[in-house]
Amino acid sequence: MRATSYGALLDAVRGVHWQARHAVANAAPGSHRSTQRGSSAEFTEYRLYRQGDDPRRLDWRLLARSDRAYIRLATDRAILPTTIVLDASRSMAFPVATRDKWRLAQEIAIGLAAVVHGDGDPVGIAVHEAGRVRLLPPRTRRGVVAEIAQVIGDAEPEGDAPLAPVVAALRSPRIAILTDLLGDADALLAAARVHGVAHGEVHLVHVVAREEIDPPRRPILAADPEAPAVQRMLAEPTRAGYERAFADWRAEMARAWRASGATYLEVVTGQPAAHVVRRIVELSGAVGLR
Amino acid sequence: MSWLLPSALGLAAAAIVATIALHFIARSRPVAEPLPTARFVPRRPVQARMRSVALSDLPLLLLRAAALAAIGTAVAGPMFTSHGRVARVFVVDRSRAVANMEEVRDSVRRLAARTDALVEFDSLAMRAQSIAALDSTRTSSARGSLSAAIAAGIRTAVLASANADSVQLVLVSPLAREEMDDATTRLRATWPGRIRIVSVRAASPDTVTPRVDVGTNGQDAVVAGLSLMGAASPGGSVRLIRDRASASDSAWARERGHVLLHWPATDSGAHWPRRETIDAIGGVTAGGATLVSRFPRPWLLTGRAVAYWSDGEPAAAEHSVGDGCIRDVAVLVDDASDLTLRAPFQRFARPLLAPCGGTRDVAAVAPGTRAFLAGAGPLTAALTLRDRTAESSSWAPWLFALAALLLIGELALRRAEGRAA
Repeated sequence: MRATSYGALLDAVRGVHWQARHAVANAAPGSHRSTQRGSSAEFTEYRLYRQGDDPRRLDWRLLARSDRAYIRLATDRAILPTTIVLDASRSMAFPVATRDKWRLAQEIAIGLAAVVHGDGDPVGIAVHEAGRVRLLPPRTRRGVVAEIAQVIGDAEPEGDAPLAPVVAALRSPRIAILTDLLGDADALLAAARVHGVAHGEVHLVHVVAREEIDPPRRPILAADPEAPAVQRMLAEPTRAGYERAFADWRAEMARAWRASGATYLEVVTGQPAAHVVRRIVELSGAVGLR
Repeated sequence: MSWLLPSALGLAAAAIVATIALHFIARSRPVAEPLPTARFVPRRPVQARMRSVALSDLPLLLLRAAALAAIGTAVAGPMFTSHGRVARVFVVDRSRAVANMEEVRDSVRRLAARTDALVEFDSLAMRAQSIAALDSTRTSSARGSLSAAIAAGIRTAVLASANADSVQLVLVSPLAREEMDDATTRLRATWPGRIRIVSVRAASPDTVTPRVDVGTNGQDAVVAGLSLMGAASPGGSVRLIRDRASASDSAWARERGHVLLHWPATDSGAHWPRRETIDAIGGVTAGGATLVSRFPRPWLLTGRAVAYWSDGEPAAAEHSVGDGCIRDVAVLVDDASDLTLRAPFQRFARPLLAPCGGTRDVAAVAPGTRAFLAGAGPLTAALTLRDRTAESSSWAPWLFALAALLLIGELALRRAEGRAA
């Protein structure tokens, strides 16, 4: 799938801004509030000149009027490099016929990449396939969204390699993880918690297929595509137990991820990707300066 | 081939049909389908019933059907007999009604094979070891009994039916009237097929009054009565003894045609079983003649009744001894009375003097009776004679073993399929 296939989606997310949840500790100028105080035009406060300050930042008019040396402080703006982590395990290729989970995850990834790129932030992608990681580091250059679409289009949801090592290796201040959490969920949560503390913010998009929430009514022998040994009979006697266990697990995942400081959004196949992108952006509303 | 319990075949067929029907409603594990969230399905053994229009598990079905067929066949009990063989049972008359035993032998030899069975009868019927036993058979002085003959013939036919398809009874007899009794027709009705009747010449009827050796006691009332009948004669075929019988008397009675008439004069003249309480009765009858007097009854007699008290108990009874017989008469006659001198006594005494077995009535039975005895229709099927409850098929154990092997194979196949699944 190429970027041209996402025309409607890109149109739908045009103008959407993905604000950083916290002030960004980054020197490069951008659109997000920075933890740095600089000399931008946006005045914040005065501070007495101390030895070592740059004399060019003295407010000379104030010095002339009051004979006191003050430094003029202003809030800096910084960029927020973002990496989108896309789970390409075999469980994402479900339902087998339509691959709705994988398609929805692809569209959300493109949509988020477009939003990030539109904000002027560097954006990259890490697609975790079987045996290797397709990594495109965050960039701001023109055409990066198309490059991301290229990477995503070339990827195939296969294998069952863990996501946690990928997340642990990333240094981007903001990562968005698109996964069904059916792999190494606990390790991934731990890695995300570490990343959130060390580097910045984590956004988790939990992709769930409608067929997983409401499986077929006919009796089936359910087989886990990532663990062939797991085969369970899903019929009327076990259906209620399955639905209850799956719902409990999703609720537990949501609670745990939110408790870790990440944003958590469960999306179900069939939802419009543009709508999902907007909800992700809304969820990460600014929570104030750190 | 025949079956001991054919209905078992029907039951087995019904079970096989039911098994095939159940295989259309397959209770099996469905085909595995990918579901990434399969781990949330509770671990419970669940059998899902799936309908299909095609037979499922054809090898299993074949094994099960074969096992059911083997069990059904074993329970049905296949019996293999020599096809078309007819077993014949010759029922041969050797009673006093037969005029010439050689004629009987010739008739049997003309028809019989070495493997045929032989039953000889007079008043009793016995199965001979082989058809060759007929060579040493002699006529007896006993009255023949067709009832006994038919009963023994049927018993022998049942035995012979084990190795034959059909059984034929061959009755070689003059069919004298005296050989019939009330049970004869009923027994005949129990034989389901026809009976081949081979008639032989009957003996001559009794025409003269037997001569009675009365001994030397001319003062005896009974001797007087018999003398008055004109029956008393030394050296006759009937010997009258009025006291206890001696060994020589018994030996004499064993000879052919001899009748020992043991008619004690007093209650100490015999060793017969005594009544608990001696009573008296007012009449006794024999051969349609009745003596009316007061008779004491000290004994209880057993044997073939020849005379009866007025209450029905036997007053005279006959026992066969060798080729002759002893006739016990428990009628104590008062020497002082003239009872024996009157005409009723002569009529009463005549049956007591008759040859062993009573007066011979060798006239042939009526044609209707003969036709009934012969019957009509086919030979008797051996199947109808066999006691199926006592029979067992030699194939049954092997068939059960085969069924067990098939069921073990079915179990192994199921386990193999379970592991493969």
